[in-house]
Amino acid sequence: MSEINLNESASTEDSVEEETDWAAAKAFFDNLKTNKPRPPKPRFAVTIAVSSRTLFNMVAERKIYEEEGVEKYVVYQVEHESEPLKPGAAFPFVKALMTVNARLRELYPDSEELFDIVLMTNNHAQVGVRLINSINHYDLTIERFCMTGGKSPIGYLKAYMTNLYLSKDSEKVTEAIEEGIAAATMFMAQTETVKELSHTQLRVAFDGDAVLFSDESEIIVKKEGLDSFFEHEKKFENKPLAQGPLKCFLEALGKLQRKFYAKNERMNCPIRTFLVTARSAASSGARVLKTLRSWGLEIDEALFLAGAPKGPLLQKIKPHIYFDDQMFHIEGANEMGTISAHVPYGIGQKYHKGKLIEQPEKKK
Amino acid sequence: MASTIQNTEVKQKNADRAVVVAVTSREVFKDGPDDGREILDIDESFLLLKLLHRVNERLEEENPEEPLLFDVILITTDSQRQQQSSRIISSTKHYGLEISRFCFASEDDFAESLQKNNVQLFLTTDRNEASQAAQKGVLSALLDQQVACSPSDQLRVMFCEDAVIQPDSGRAVQSFTAQMGEMRRRFGMSDSPLSFILVTLHGGKDSCADSLLTLRSSGLSVDEAYCLAGAPRGPIMSVLQPHFMISISSSGLEK
Repeated sequence: MSEINLNESASTEDSVEEETDWAAAKAFFDNLKTNKPRPPKPRFAVTIAVSSRTLFNMVAERKIYEEEGVEKYVVYQVEHESEPLKPGAAFPFVKALMTVNARLRELYPDSEELFDIVLMTNNHAQVGVRLINSINHYDLTIERFCMTGGKSPIGYLKAYMTNLYLSKDSEKVTEAIEEGIAAATMFMAQTETVKELSHTQLRVAFDGDAVLFSDESEIIVKKEGLDSFFEHEKKFENKPLAQGPLKCFLEALGKLQRKFYAKNERMNCPIRTFLVTARSAASSGARVLKTLRSWGLEIDEALFLAGAPKGPLLQKIKPHIYFDDQMFHIEGANEMGTISAHVPYGIGQKYHKGKLIEQPEKKK
Repeated sequence: MASTIQNTEVKQKNADRAVVVAVTSREVFKDGPDDGREILDIDESFLLLKLLHRVNERLEEENPEEPLLFDVILITTDSQRQQQSSRIISSTKHYGLEISRFCFASEDDFAESLQKNNVQLFLTTDRNEASQAAQKGVLSALLDQQVACSPSDQLRVMFCEDAVIQPDSGRAVQSFTAQMGEMRRRFGMSDSPLSFILVTLHGGKDSCADSLLTLRSSGLSVDEAYCLAGAPRGPIMSVLQPHFMISISSSGLEK
């Protein structure tokens, strides 16, 4: 999933236009008096799309939207457009991406293999002025955005070659995953823990089943119980699990990590990845590690909890973002100060704390 | 010599306030064989007229006396078609199209004809025609052939820094923008039959912010904004689906 392949059959006319646009943009940024780095060429970049409500804290504004309607909301935003918004759940993650970019530019000044951060919002364009002012206030390198004025951003996610989409809206996130784009719904953490996050290293933690891997094994746990699960995993230890929605994002991170290793920076690598799984090392853990190996992917630290709560461990890891498919774990992590992102994929969506959720009829 | 004929079946619009839009008869009617039939075949796929008409309908719903409407005139720009003038007029009446005037001109003098008729926006799929008209100071835009034929419930107008046709006069863009802004304000944020889109193709966020504010000070609050900063425009345009594009420069609408 989420493999953005270069469309080899693009017409020559398109490519000429593409190159002209690229050259014009390059010239534009090179001529700017500020020494702002120009955004990378999308085809080579790892594109992270963030919504306005994950980048900034817009809780108060959201309330106005819900209680007084869109017109009053936009008027309010325009009236306050010189006031920068406060940071949101994805803010530390975005700052960490910028840190990695700075290190990459030092080592590879001519490379386009960088993180590209795109603001993807269905806000009205007039709210954009406040968003741009806020981005400038914090000196964030975000030069690309979509403000769709109420329309779904999903089509634009693909058009911008998005590798990861973060939003507060679980419906949009689900839609993105269904379209094959890695996506997660973000939840804010408490402010105190945000201050403790690393300023020099991007730290990303992943759950295993139904995040990096498919939910095939989780289905067995839910339907047949733990014993069946252990037996099954032992039996199929050497058969790689199928991919999950975030596998390609881990792959993109790995590709950038290897650029640091190539320059002898392994000990000082500004990207660190963690697997935090309820599986136990002894019985079901082997299959996970072997699957990663078969994909040619590395993960820096694999933590097998054998069912113990994830919260305390994540508190120690202090990731800039933690991906999990089960709300139960997201809530636990959040309560203990971890910035969590829910991946609405797989069988875990139908269960809560091990019990099958009675789904109401979907509203048409 | 160019000539202008009024359509007696349609109520004439307010000359001071209406936004005069010219489209070519070539887009509206299919080239018919000279078989003596009076009525030409309408090009069903050309949906632009419907969209313009829908805006007018919605405007009149809000205010039956609304003077700020689209005033659509049909221009015939080649001598060959001029010969079909009576058929063009009859066909327009036959289909009940909301076209208030017909202009018959040749390749050489159609641009003047547009000027004489106070055309504020000339839409065509022919690049040369659009350039010619632009050189005479008429705001012209190239209609996207494919989009013009795709079903849509909204007329989508895009502003960017390098539309195919560069306007000769910043003032023409400015007055058009001001009128569009006023028209747009007649509708709410959602469910509008008109949508205005800003696309910054090469510049970054600050260029985009400048353009947003420039358009706003000219009276138009755009609905959607996209900043590409050099990203390939093809994939994004195919999602955006604008009907036509108008050039603005970031530094201001006055050139």
